Amino acid sequence: MIPSWILDIFAAIMLVVAAVSAARLVAARPWQHRTRPAALADIDVAHLLMAIAMAGTLAPGLRTLPDGAWEVIFAVMTAWFGYRVARDAKVSGVRALAGGHCAPHLLHAGAMLYMFVAVSAPAAHGSGGMGAMGGGVGGMGTLELPFLALLFALALVGYCIWDLDQVSGPGTSGHYSLAVARVAPPSPVLAGVGASARPGVAAASGTASAPAAAVPIAEPAGTAQVPPASGPADGTGVLAPWVATGCRIAMGVTMAFMLVIMI
Amino acid sequence: MSEIAAGGVRPAWQSTAGAGADARRAAPDARRLLQLALAGLWLLDGVLQYQAFMFSKGFSDMLAGTASGNPGVVARPISWDATLVGHHLAALNAVFATVQLLLGIGIAWRPTVRVALAASVAWSLGVWWFGEGLGMVLTGDVNPVSGAPGAVILYALLAVLLWPSDRGSPARPAPFVAARAVGTPVARALWLVLWLSLAYFALLPANRAPQALHDMIAGMTDGEPGWLAALDRGAASLVAHQGLAASIVLAIALVVVAVGVYRPAPAARGTLVLAIVVAAVFWVFGQAFGAIMTGGATDPNSAPLLALLALAYWPARAVAPAPAYTGPARAEEGMAAS
Repeated sequence: MIPSWILDIFAAIMLVVAAVSAARLVAARPWQHRTRPAALADIDVAHLLMAIAMAGTLAPGLRTLPDGAWEVIFAVMTAWFGYRVARDAKVSGVRALAGGHCAPHLLHAGAMLYMFVAVSAPAAHGSGGMGAMGGGVGGMGTLELPFLALLFALALVGYCIWDLDQVSGPGTSGHYSLAVARVAPPSPVLAGVGASARPGVAAASGTASAPAAAVPIAEPAGTAQVPPASGPADGTGVLAPWVATGCRIAMGVTMAFMLVIMI
Repeated sequence: MSEIAAGGVRPAWQSTAGAGADARRAAPDARRLLQLALAGLWLLDGVLQYQAFMFSKGFSDMLAGTASGNPGVVARPISWDATLVGHHLAALNAVFATVQLLLGIGIAWRPTVRVALAASVAWSLGVWWFGEGLGMVLTGDVNPVSGAPGAVILYALLAVLLWPSDRGSPARPAPFVAARAVGTPVARALWLVLWLSLAYFALLPANRAPQALHDMIAGMTDGEPGWLAALDRGAASLVAHQGLAASIVLAIALVVVAVGVYRPAPAARGTLVLAIVVAAVFWVFGQAFGAIMTGGATDPNSAPLLALLALAYWPARAVAPAPAYTGPARAEEGMAAS
């Protein structure tokens, strides 16, 4: 049995991630954007929801939503990021899958959906909600199709490592840099994604990236022109790209941890 | 890559919007990619160490079991360590898991790659003794198919070979990644020793017995998913009563791999492919994916590390000390134009 204090530590980390993601949403004010507000906010919304769900799973004392609600949420999230990855793939081909902007989030959403759908009996016998997963190994349930759990865990670890390398490396382009005025993501979908508070700024949300993700502004015809950087306030503080990347690394490690201990 | 990190360029995590005007991106070279793979394995090990089994008496019993068959001078510290772990199971295992997580994070985090690699060597050597009983190589009852000489010693070897320094020069680049830090002769010698030792282990009397390989593979099925257990049972039936022949064939393959790095590049590539195939066969049939799906694995076992090693010896056109990456030409041109 895994000591509860270890699960509580991971749950606390997830609550911090949730708080940071909420703060990013408030700071970015995506609802003020007339165009693509979902594309501006989806990463942080995903982080917020996943972090809450994981915290609830790890700490049975936390009551969040019923499992069924989480399944619907993560199914929608998976479909949304699947759609965005498909859009990316039209522009950058398989690179969108290998390390594109939305692929890691698709993986995260898929892993969360899998965890809720494939969790075995202990969840069904509980009182409902995330606390229902208590009672199995380490206070959690066990997963059907353990090989799938292993694959998810390996992929999550891979993205975490890649994020750590990229965020600690030289240069600050692509998804690791907000408001790089003359560098924008290559597609209209990517162009609006991120935490920038200004519409159209070539922002990024601190998410994983393919090496080719940062390209000069040469958007397809018909897309909005990306204006210059809007000021030094962009990309600093809670909106700094490394903050979102750090959140995703923490979530990736925690998710891999959960998958492995639920095998 | 540490060379870049040490080069005075601000890492991304320190940057702000203003600093972000530099559009250079860190494009990992081959060695950095291998370091990242090693980091990923450490991170996975850390996660595996948090499994419920590791917080049970079964873990300390498993540690104590590695003393069996070892000489007293090796076995006594193992027994002491196992007892200590048994008395402070939760705290010590949490420390073990966290250390491995930090090793993975440290190797992936460019500014700390040297510290983390050095620490991983020390940690690996400690675990090899206290956690794996020196891979049981002194007991005479080890099999390369099941993971001899112990996965963790291969972590140390990889950390040394992937150390971020260069003995070569632009005029005489290293012929493969593993030679960059220690030089070509040393790197080749290490490869030779490793794979010849595997060949030697394959020919040990315990492994030449008619049912040795069969029993070893069949023994991996406990706790595995049905499809994997069936796969292993099928493989076991293929080698039933063929222990001697299987050992000889395996030893020949391992010797071919061992000497392959001394051959010209095309032949070397062929033997490295063979090494990766052998590692894959070990992983699926002899190690059941490290038995990760049983809930009691501390690592994915030796096969992924053998494959990683093979990639580190892959002949390159030129592996010279690389200057800092300056970004895709397209980006530079675009920035200049705008």
